Amino acid sequence: MTGDEKIIEIKNLSRIYAMGEVKVRALNNVTLDIKRGEFAAIMGKSGSGKSTLLHQLGLLDAPTSGEIVFGGKNISDISESEKARFRLLKFGYVFQEYALLPELTALENVYLPAMALGRKKEEYLKAGTQVLEQVGISEQADKLPALLSGGQQQRAAIARALANDPPLLLADEPTGNLDSHTSEAILQLFKSLAASGKTIVMVTHERDITTWVSSVVKLADGKVANGSGLYD
Amino acid sequence: MFNNVKLSLFLASKSMMKGSKSTQLLIIFIMSLIFVNLVFIGSIFLGVTEATNNQVINSLYSNVVIEPKKDEKYISDVYSLEQKIKGVPGVVGISSQYVTGATLSYKDKHGTWTVRSIDPDDEMKVTTNHNYLIAGKYLSKLDKNEILLGKEIAGGYGGDLEYSSLGVKVGDSVDVLFDNGVKKSFRVKGIFDANFIQTNTMAYISQKEMESVVGLEDKASQMLVKTRDNGNEDRYIKQFLEMGIKEEIKPWTVYAGMVKNITNSFDMIAMMISAIGLFVAVITIFIIVYTSTISKRRQIGILRAVGIEESIIIQSYIFQAMFIVICGIFIGLIIIFFAIKPWFIEHPLKFPIGLASLLILPERVSMNAISLIIAALAAGFIPSWMAVRKTIIDAIWGE
Repeated sequence: MTGDEKIIEIKNLSRIYAMGEVKVRALNNVTLDIKRGEFAAIMGKSGSGKSTLLHQLGLLDAPTSGEIVFGGKNISDISESEKARFRLLKFGYVFQEYALLPELTALENVYLPAMALGRKKEEYLKAGTQVLEQVGISEQADKLPALLSGGQQQRAAIARALANDPPLLLADEPTGNLDSHTSEAILQLFKSLAASGKTIVMVTHERDITTWVSSVVKLADGKVANGSGLYD
Repeated sequence: MFNNVKLSLFLASKSMMKGSKSTQLLIIFIMSLIFVNLVFIGSIFLGVTEATNNQVINSLYSNVVIEPKKDEKYISDVYSLEQKIKGVPGVVGISSQYVTGATLSYKDKHGTWTVRSIDPDDEMKVTTNHNYLIAGKYLSKLDKNEILLGKEIAGGYGGDLEYSSLGVKVGDSVDVLFDNGVKKSFRVKGIFDANFIQTNTMAYISQKEMESVVGLEDKASQMLVKTRDNGNEDRYIKQFLEMGIKEEIKPWTVYAGMVKNITNSFDMIAMMISAIGLFVAVITIFIIVYTSTISKRRQIGILRAVGIEESIIIQSYIFQAMFIVICGIFIGLIIIFFAIKPWFIEHPLKFPIGLASLLILPERVSMNAISLIIAALAAGFIPSWMAVRKTIIDAIWGE
């Protein structure tokens, strides 16, 4: 499914954190492209900058310098309101620790982004139910997150990320808190999503990830490790 | 826009449903007490002010007072002046009076008070003192050597100036030494308590009696004019002046300096207490919303991370604050109109200026409610705005 069209281009991206008087360069001139339909893994040791890179891609944080180009548009310096719109429409973000809202049921968590788009009630209910079915937990729809297992919560979080059918799914160690069996099921789900045309960028520690993904980006000390960016 | 409001309401309702019900009820109860306090303080002061105004009008000066021209001691041609004024639409009564100082004595006690002379029939159209007899009878037109005493002069009825009273009862004879040196004995015909200390320190005799004392006829020290409605005195005064009346014509408010001071002071106190009440409301709501945003900091970050706009998150907290305040106002209104107001009607407060109850004006209640809602808006907005100022990273993963 991977084509030549770039869905996202990262150009000389740097992120420097000030910790007191010390400046930490979490990302150092990262440049790489991600193609539409790609299932990319970002790997590296702790502190290598992989989560920081994902935060930048998801517009959860602003770069110190550099550009992120999505669909030909530089999105690194757009307004907060535009960023929110991008996160709602273009990106689905999956957190390691699920990040479901505890006062909402699984279904409500899932249809919240669709509701925020202004869809009609029957539409967002239908969309929510469909994605819950897609991730295999439709029977848990009316349960609060606290009553779901870790795997079910992560599936609900993935369903939420898919609710508005975004072209890009960003996942931050989505299997980090799951047992191997459930991790495999989640990776299988991602693989099938990639097969259906979604672009997936996933930060992971999984060593044998290459059997699942179409590309791997290795980061070390805030830089792309092989110097050329993406490699298959 | 509508969708944003819908989403904010959805988030607010979910947050409140998930929250502790007993805590929310307690907070709503606190808001209702703050609202009751705002309305109650204003209303009791308004009630006291109104009671004072009514007392001055109904027992002392009526609506309009006509006094002699400058440099003259008495109004002349009183009868023809009365006829002229009676012809003005809205004038319901006129009481022409002689007013003089006099020393009243009974046995070894004596004191100086104001004595007014009245035509009882006219006076009854102008003041309500005839309704407040606590002993004996009211004066009659043809009464001779009869005097009506306020309870502060008579004594024995628990007045505030009991120490200076004469200690007389109905039927006792008191000696009256008028300012012009004439001395006469009067039988106490009645004692009244108008619930107003200024009225209760007055004595009344009949007009005929006074004319024999001062040796005058068809004159008066003052004429009290009762109008159908209160508050339009200036309009009547204008009409009287246009009719060519040359005497001094004044509204009752000119004589109510004490009332004005009380009213001004009460307004000031009410404003200060209301401001404190509103401040307490703001702080309470601020703390509630602030605590909520602190405990839900991560959730706020997650909402933003999935693409919910900051304004929607802020609105959801404002709606929560509004819900608390509106419920508080609603419960407060029930407390005010079904508990406090009926109780005060049954048990009015007793002041030296008379009996006072709550005067609850709808416009004041609305203003208090609006003030509280605005306070809730501000107190809900500030902490939630502060919360969404954080970066998403800090909100979700920060310390």
